[in-house]
Amino acid sequence: MTASDTKMTDNRPFAIRAYTPDELRGALKRMYLIRRFEEGAEDSYMRGLIHGTMHLSIGQEASAVATCMELTDDDKITSTHRGHGHCIAKGADVGRMFAEFFGKETGYCHGRGGSMHIADVKTGNLGANGIVGGGLPIAVGAALSAKRLGKSDVTVCFFGDGANNEGAFHESLNMASVWKLPVVFVCENNQYGMSTSIRRSTAVARISDRAAAYSMPGVTVDGNDFSAVAEAVHLANARARAGDGPSLVENLTYRWRGHSKSDRNRYRTKEEIEMWMGQDPITRFRTELIAHGITDEAGADAIEAAAVADMEAGIAFAKASPAPDVSEVTRYVYAEV
Amino acid sequence: MPTEVILPKVDMDMTHGTLAVWHAGDGEIVAKGAPLFDIETDKAAMEVEAPATGRLTGIAAKPGEKVAVGTVVALIYAEGEVPGSAPAAPAATVPVPDHRADRVPSIQTPAETSRAAPAPTAPGVLAKDATALRATPAARSAARKAGVLLEGITGTGPLGRIQRDDVPTGLDAGPDKPLPQSWTPQPGPLNVRSRKGSGPTLVMLHGFTADSQSWAPLEKAIGSGPALIRIDLPCHGRSPLRRITGFAGLARMMVEAFDEATRDLGMVHLLGHSLGGALAIAIADIRPRRVVGLSLIAPAGLGPEIDAATLLGITRATRTESLAPWLRRLTASPDMISDSYAEAAMRARGDGAMRAAQADMADAILTDGTQTFDVQAALHRLTAPTRIIWGRQDKIIPSRHATAQRTDAAIHLLDGAGHIPQMECPERVARVIGLGGGSPL
Amino acid sequence: MNAVPQDTALRTLSYAEAIREAMAIAMEADPAVILMGEDIGVYGGAFQVTLDLVDRFGPDRVMDTPISELGGAGVAVGAALTGLKPIFEFQFSDFAMLAMEQIVNQAAKLRYMLGGEASVPVVFRLPSGSGTGAAAQHSQSIEAWFGHVPGLKVLQPSTPADAKGMLLAALADPDPVMIFEHKLLYKMKGPVPAGHHLTPIGKAAVRREGSDLTIVAGSIMVHRALEAAGRLATEGISAEVVDLRSIRPIDHETILASVRKTGRLMVVYEGVKAFGVGAEISALVAESDAFDFLDAPILRLGAADAPVPYNPDLERASVPQVDSIESAARRLARREV
Ligand SMILES: Cc1ncc(C[n+]2csc(CCOP(=O)(O)OP(=O)(O)O)c2C)c(N)n1
Ligand SMILES: [Mg+2]
Repeated sequence: MTASDTKMTDNRPFAIRAYTPDELRGALKRMYLIRRFEEGAEDSYMRGLIHGTMHLSIGQEASAVATCMELTDDDKITSTHRGHGHCIAKGADVGRMFAEFFGKETGYCHGRGGSMHIADVKTGNLGANGIVGGGLPIAVGAALSAKRLGKSDVTVCFFGDGANNEGAFHESLNMASVWKLPVVFVCENNQYGMSTSIRRSTAVARISDRAAAYSMPGVTVDGNDFSAVAEAVHLANARARAGDGPSLVENLTYRWRGHSKSDRNRYRTKEEIEMWMGQDPITRFRTELIAHGITDEAGADAIEAAAVADMEAGIAFAKASPAPDVSEVTRYVYAEV
Repeated sequence: MPTEVILPKVDMDMTHGTLAVWHAGDGEIVAKGAPLFDIETDKAAMEVEAPATGRLTGIAAKPGEKVAVGTVVALIYAEGEVPGSAPAAPAATVPVPDHRADRVPSIQTPAETSRAAPAPTAPGVLAKDATALRATPAARSAARKAGVLLEGITGTGPLGRIQRDDVPTGLDAGPDKPLPQSWTPQPGPLNVRSRKGSGPTLVMLHGFTADSQSWAPLEKAIGSGPALIRIDLPCHGRSPLRRITGFAGLARMMVEAFDEATRDLGMVHLLGHSLGGALAIAIADIRPRRVVGLSLIAPAGLGPEIDAATLLGITRATRTESLAPWLRRLTASPDMISDSYAEAAMRARGDGAMRAAQADMADAILTDGTQTFDVQAALHRLTAPTRIIWGRQDKIIPSRHATAQRTDAAIHLLDGAGHIPQMECPERVARVIGLGGGSPL
Repeated sequence: MNAVPQDTALRTLSYAEAIREAMAIAMEADPAVILMGEDIGVYGGAFQVTLDLVDRFGPDRVMDTPISELGGAGVAVGAALTGLKPIFEFQFSDFAMLAMEQIVNQAAKLRYMLGGEASVPVVFRLPSGSGTGAAAQHSQSIEAWFGHVPGLKVLQPSTPADAKGMLLAALADPDPVMIFEHKLLYKMKGPVPAGHHLTPIGKAAVRREGSDLTIVAGSIMVHRALEAAGRLATEGISAEVVDLRSIRPIDHETILASVRKTGRLMVVYEGVKAFGVGAEISALVAESDAFDFLDAPILRLGAADAPVPYNPDLERASVPQVDSIESAARRLARREV
């Protein structure tokens, strides 16, 4: 962060004003890393190296990276089934993430959790979640801890548009507001909960409209615009850290891939998908950085190449890692004393 | 207040007794009157009954321990009574010899007692502790039906667990029960073999499926002293086949043969084994003035239980292969029955009509695997000195039939012996009946 | 799917097709029958069980609900109370936990609490079980939980014919019925009677006769037990396999009769071993006259005392498999336990 964000005359995008060139190039790198990581995971999945299913967030990278831009390891996030991006944005090591996908002992969950449960508690990532809406009350609880323990940490709670119809969403927002807790609710509205569009599932036009019911600020931004997301979350973080309570930020975005590996894409059109692919958040951010002289084509290519190298090294690490010992199937059920 | 369980004085000059075995474990519910533990004195073994109904707690004497008469060996708490509510440690009210002071009953928590419960069986004590016997429900129910004692069965399951197949099925054997062979009753008196000698005469009555020849090892141990009269039971040995319809009829036949065989003699000593033991009691009851004393080896008629399956197995067996496994149940150690012994026994049982007659006899007196006759009252009426000898490892009739009796009879439990101690350890039996090495009765 | 032939001919259908056929038959026959659930419309359900039914019966009768399990299940309960016959699909049985309140406090108890004056003929369908690599929150077998709830009926079809027959029987039943379908069985094919085929509720089926031991199993474990029994037969061990079919009500007589015959009992189930179906069946036998026929301790083979792990080897090791059933049954038959 620089002091430039206070200059009233500067009409460059928020992110360019707010972050150093290094921070911005780092953000681009993380967005590429998310993209390449997920493509690598998809490829490994198709080669039969990965068990189960996975939910890819390709097309939603700006939301993850911009939201986590100002978070430290002391700040917490709760994530969702579509959580790879959040995890990388919060600073996870892709080698250990791949290792988890491959079910290895070196994975973040020692092979017990897989894609849907990746967490890195040490860096403040309280975990992906297999239960839609499962992370919302947990985030409120983390914020309660910060407040009670007198810390200035915030908790960012990622959830999807589909989750806003779970009771847990409503109960969580209400409590966070009543108790003025330092939590930022970040809804990644990718238009669908599985096959069900928000139009068919949700009574309000904008999910941010629901903030009013719980007496907190609500804002909807272009979730594929890195800077717009960063700015909205920046304000919400500041409010949280100031002790003024929670906010709801809705990032409008889109997942390019199917809901999971078994989606036959019957509920949306090719045109719609192509329209959104034209709004690639990575291309937009890269273009913006070049336009503002933060990097150039060659520099951006080098950033992308570095992301690919990280991804490949991660896969190599995962492949070479040992599998858990089958006799330890009940390990980690309880604390080891 | 809990009820104190004391080691009772059961013999005139008894000061100490050895606790042989507990029939209930610490923490178990016991019913008043149920067998609680066995004690042994130098003369006899006794079963002691629970003095009250409730939870047995604080067992303070282990099997094998010698305990002074009057010592509190456990407590019984009535239902609802909380252990620990007793105002004073019971030991304080009972004089306990000093050396036992560290064994006063202690109130234990259930967790402690459950671990302490299965008291290790002292060496030489038959492991009939309920906690030591493992049997599946199916085995238990099969044994119940067949009238077989689980105590005598060797379990082939894990931890020696008795499984259904380990239980010999007897009367209810169903399809494999052979068709009854027909036989015709024969005329003539029972076979009696006599040997002259000095001193009182010994009248010997063998057990079911045996014959008078089976006394040979004991006779050898007794030596050439007393005169002997051996009577073959009907349908046994060289006696004629007769239709036996019940124990009373059988006893009448035996009294008749007894009268005949001892007509010219004074008082005699009766020696009976198993069924022969029951018959000896019956004879002595009917002819009290003819009997100077009794020696009873594992006598029948003192309780309902009997391993009828084994006896039926013996009556049914037509070859050595099928006879030997049953014979091996008669002895404490199956190895005692060699193949050649079994062959000889089968030769002696070669007569199919005799086997069929014995089977019918079993049907009459061991109906449904149960000893249908009861000579306990007769035993208690006996005035002649009586000694009862029993193999501790008897698998056919449990020795507790003796220890449970309220009788003045001396009870001798022979360790390492099964149902036929007179063949397993004839010298010891001879010594016990006072005839070892030719000494007088 | 077209008009349903009204004969009893056997066709070969998959388990999923059989369930779909049952729903179609019921919807044709009774306009009160509606389907509710997440993504059961155009998406066809997470496991494609309701595929194309929305085209046939329209979105008013094949209703995509928002991701709102508690509300959705409760709406189905309310509708059942007042004249409709809803078939409510939980996307995974694990998500029934979000609806426990409506299932356990309401559906199960309404008739009783109202003194017999109310009826809740709702049917819940619950895809369950492990083996898909979906880890701890998408792989559970929680059918036994509902066995503890008076007022519910709890079924577990193991074959396509039963999957159809149980669904139609459940619809004909005036009380709430939960049908636990196994995800790994959806593609299994088998003969299915045409027409209005009913499987009696509360009746177990002896799938293989035997004399040495009884294996009581449900759902996919029936198939594993049958395979194990086939292998054991080559060694001269004769295992009887009883398909439990119904957890509540439970078919005492079939189980007890089999135990009386074989004297040895093993219960195989996919739920966690402790406090599960095996405990109930063991107690049932121990409390009955069949106790006297037991010639060995009862064996329970259930899931490891752990959540379902992600790593495929751990996942396999955590629930009974053909090999583990075979070796346990062999030990039981050879009197080694
Ligand atoms: C409680 C619960 N219900 C249903 C599901 C199945 N499910 C997984 S993801 C998903 C869609 C979630 O939609 P949304 O919240 O918009 O997240 P997105 O997948 O779009 O990122 C559904 C229905 C679940 N995992 N948990
Ligand atoms: Mg969504």
